[in-house]
Amino acid sequence: MTPPFWEFEGFGLAHRRPDGDESLLADVTLTVPAVGFYLLVGESGGGKSSLLRLSAGLLESREVAPAMTGRFCCLGLPLTAGFPAALRGRIAAILQEEGLLDELSPRGNVELALRAAGRPRTLAPALLAQVGLEVGSDRVALLSGGMRKRLCVARAIAGEPAVLLCDEPTTGLDPEAARQIARLLRQSHDEGRGRTTVIITHDAAAFAGLADGVLALDRRERTLRLLPPDVPWRSSGRSPAAAELALAGAATLGLRQRLLQFAGIGETATEALLRLPPVELGQVARTTAAFVLEPIAFVALAGGVIGGLATFFALRNNPIHGGFETALLTGTGKVLTAVLVPLLSGFFFTARIAAGAAARLGTMKRNHQVAALWLMGVRPADYLLTPLVWGMTIAMPVVTLAGVVAAAFASLLATRLVSGITTVGWTTAFFHTVDARDVQTMLLKSSLSGFLVAATTYHLATGPKRSGAEVGDAVNASIVLGMALVLAVHAGLTFFVYR
Amino acid sequence: MPPARYFTGLVTLALTVVGIVLLLRWIDTGSKVTGLPLRVEFRDAHGLRAGADVRYRGVVVGSVRTVQVSADGSKAVVELLLDDSGVDQACVNSPFWIVSPRFTGLTSGATGLDTLVHDAYVAFVTPAERGSALRPGSLLVGHERPPALLEPDTLEPLEHGDLLMSLLVPENHGLRPGAQVIYRGMPTGDVRSAELSADGSHVELRLRIHHQYRRTVTDKSVFWVARPFLSGALFSGFTVSDMSALLSPYISYYADAGKGVPVADGWRAAAVALRPDVQPSNVPAAALRLPDPTVAPTHEPLCLVRVVYAAISAHAIGADDAIQREGTGVLFDDVSGRPVVATARSLVDGSYTEHGWFGSRPAIVREQLRVVLSGGPVLGAGRVWVDPDGQDLAVLVLDGTPPDLPVTAAALFDRAAKLPPALTAQLRCAGQDGTAQPALEVQWPEQQPDLDACRGGALLVSDKVVGLVGQKGGRERVPVAVPLQRLPEDLRPAN
Repeated sequence: MTPPFWEFEGFGLAHRRPDGDESLLADVTLTVPAVGFYLLVGESGGGKSSLLRLSAGLLESREVAPAMTGRFCCLGLPLTAGFPAALRGRIAAILQEEGLLDELSPRGNVELALRAAGRPRTLAPALLAQVGLEVGSDRVALLSGGMRKRLCVARAIAGEPAVLLCDEPTTGLDPEAARQIARLLRQSHDEGRGRTTVIITHDAAAFAGLADGVLALDRRERTLRLLPPDVPWRSSGRSPAAAELALAGAATLGLRQRLLQFAGIGETATEALLRLPPVELGQVARTTAAFVLEPIAFVALAGGVIGGLATFFALRNNPIHGGFETALLTGTGKVLTAVLVPLLSGFFFTARIAAGAAARLGTMKRNHQVAALWLMGVRPADYLLTPLVWGMTIAMPVVTLAGVVAAAFASLLATRLVSGITTVGWTTAFFHTVDARDVQTMLLKSSLSGFLVAATTYHLATGPKRSGAEVGDAVNASIVLGMALVLAVHAGLTFFVYR
Repeated sequence: MPPARYFTGLVTLALTVVGIVLLLRWIDTGSKVTGLPLRVEFRDAHGLRAGADVRYRGVVVGSVRTVQVSADGSKAVVELLLDDSGVDQACVNSPFWIVSPRFTGLTSGATGLDTLVHDAYVAFVTPAERGSALRPGSLLVGHERPPALLEPDTLEPLEHGDLLMSLLVPENHGLRPGAQVIYRGMPTGDVRSAELSADGSHVELRLRIHHQYRRTVTDKSVFWVARPFLSGALFSGFTVSDMSALLSPYISYYADAGKGVPVADGWRAAAVALRPDVQPSNVPAAALRLPDPTVAPTHEPLCLVRVVYAAISAHAIGADDAIQREGTGVLFDDVSGRPVVATARSLVDGSYTEHGWFGSRPAIVREQLRVVLSGGPVLGAGRVWVDPDGQDLAVLVLDGTPPDLPVTAAALFDRAAKLPPALTAQLRCAGQDGTAQPALEVQWPEQQPDLDACRGGALLVSDKVVGLVGQKGGRERVPVAVPLQRLPEDLRPAN
């Protein structure tokens, strides 16, 4: 027997705010049967989206969750004590901000969802045709609002979910387009056998005659009721002031927030280690290649300038003109290859790559692409964190090596310019005290700092993003914190190895 | 990612890989680098560092690859890599040593002082008797100190006209080849070799005096080995002389100017055992005169020589008179092709100018005659002919003339020329070192030359030698022009 879609029993829901908890639902007892096409209506800020996010498992782990009392089950599984893993992939959602992955083509978006659901990719054209999209268009950014919604539908139903949740799917569309999307949703609902569809909307006209029932959320009464579709629904009026509804716990909110953020660091670290075996191999390979090829020329150039200048000035500003040149070269070679160029290469790499990655991930988070990944059943850590970690852990030593090699050759050039030392003499002097341990230490320092910078960047970029400013902050923080980590790793390991 | 950036990245990545391979090859042992790898053992590496130079005659011909302690800890093993020019020079008997600052004692001085401000380096020399070529990886035993500077080629090369002489010293006092020879505190030459005589009675030094200073050595010169010498008495105070010889001893000599005749090559002199109490004469007043603007020596068709004569006019009663004269002679080949010098008889014959008691013949003894060739070489000479009619003309033959001696061409002589009483001519004289002096204009009888300065000087009319400056009648101090037509047939310039 199919469990009911939603099951409430004495359920209460309250938003936690700095000035006190705001109660949205109180003592709701309701059973919503599965396999139905429901509209979820109610005033803005009444808790519709919260119910949807609860049901889709989209609550931010680093933010304080809404306070819940009583029992709330979805498909027979309780949602009040965290999102059950068994629901992941069974519930699809079309968010208001569609969360389309704009780095992929429309077809790529659908294919990713198909792959995550374990279905053949070849179904993608049929799905696109089903929602009325041409297969040809290759960029998400070029799609119109209606087409984006259609693509969202195609992507959402690709995994044949048991539940499809839609948050305002017709917003921003003209009535005709809105009606078409509504029909498309109903059509796909009918084609998806045994599916439950819940649509949050204020646009009753678009869905007129399509719904099987209406879930009405009354903000003043803090109730949720299931009404037949033909009963006209009307708001019962303004909600009471939040202050009147204040319960308790406002003082502890900031502290809880802080604690959750710290817990988030642990969560990211755990993810970075546990999700290290690559799932998305193509994504890992692409990211690593990009992380190597993008900054390598710049870092090599910088390493060359540093190596050349250091040697030039060491030899030119030699107080004993022409004396002890080999000793100077030996010292310069050691400090350049073992300490200076690896450290500066780490800085350059971080500034170049971590900033870019933070901006990209932050924007994805802000545009709900990360949430969309969750909804498709793709673990964001697999799709975003693991490639980032592998990419930086591999790319940073490779790029550093390029910097060191460039520094060495620039040093040779400077030596030949300033003094009469031969190439053989330079090689012998420059690498006199440089040994395999130096190279190992250099690679270890780069790899370790690459790993840490990657995890830090991911953590900062995928934190809650409510505005573009928060994305900018995350980018800045990734550069500063990344460089600090590079410095700490290099200083610590250099001290540990060479003390 | 834009294709251009992708391409740049790929190129850089490829270059990095190539660079790593290249650096690893360079760092790898010398087997892959052209050149000759060698190992040299030293008891002490003197702080030698890898990358230091290997030098041959001061030129970098290789580098030090590694400096390690041998397995048993008894030696420092230095791996060298000689480049191609070094390979050409090194052989199995080349001594290698490490050049670092070292002070090897008062007699040998300090060496390697350049490495006070430079890295220590490895040097080697190749002996004249070369051994076989070195094989790659050969193990040589290095020298712990620089080999003694016995190599002839470490001395300054000899130059044409340098005086080579022997000096017999009672004791060597640490003199080594290359030690200086000092005259009036100025280096004038060097010691070329030092050997103990066969019977052990003395040490024989070979000295070289630079040709420009060889006139400072005369048969009257006193030689001694300079070393710090304390003299004086308790109440008069002490004097340390030759203090500058503290670090390295040298040979010193002295003779008053104008005494003695210059010596020829091969001259042997004995040094005095103790430093003589020489008091250098004061600077002569003539030296205060501004020097004449020197004329660059040109190749002269006219070959003049400086003639130096010294003798004793012995007197039965009273002190003997020392005779010393210098003047000019004209060098040419006579009819038989023998180089001879025509000069004034008053310059080379004491019996011509000196008086005996009551008109008797003077007793001239210990005559010495030297001819200084242009540029400094000194030859012994002897009179072969004097004018039988009392004219001031004589001819000298030279001892041991070098084969390539330049002489005056016969065409430059005009023996037929008559010398009128009123004669205008160019006068050419030889300077102290035998080089020709600038021409002077002379005119008989108004503008006569100074006899002492120009005795034997060549008189030229229309660029041809017509006569010499002589002394009238041998005893009157009046300069006369002596025609060359009086030369006997067999001593005339060959045509």
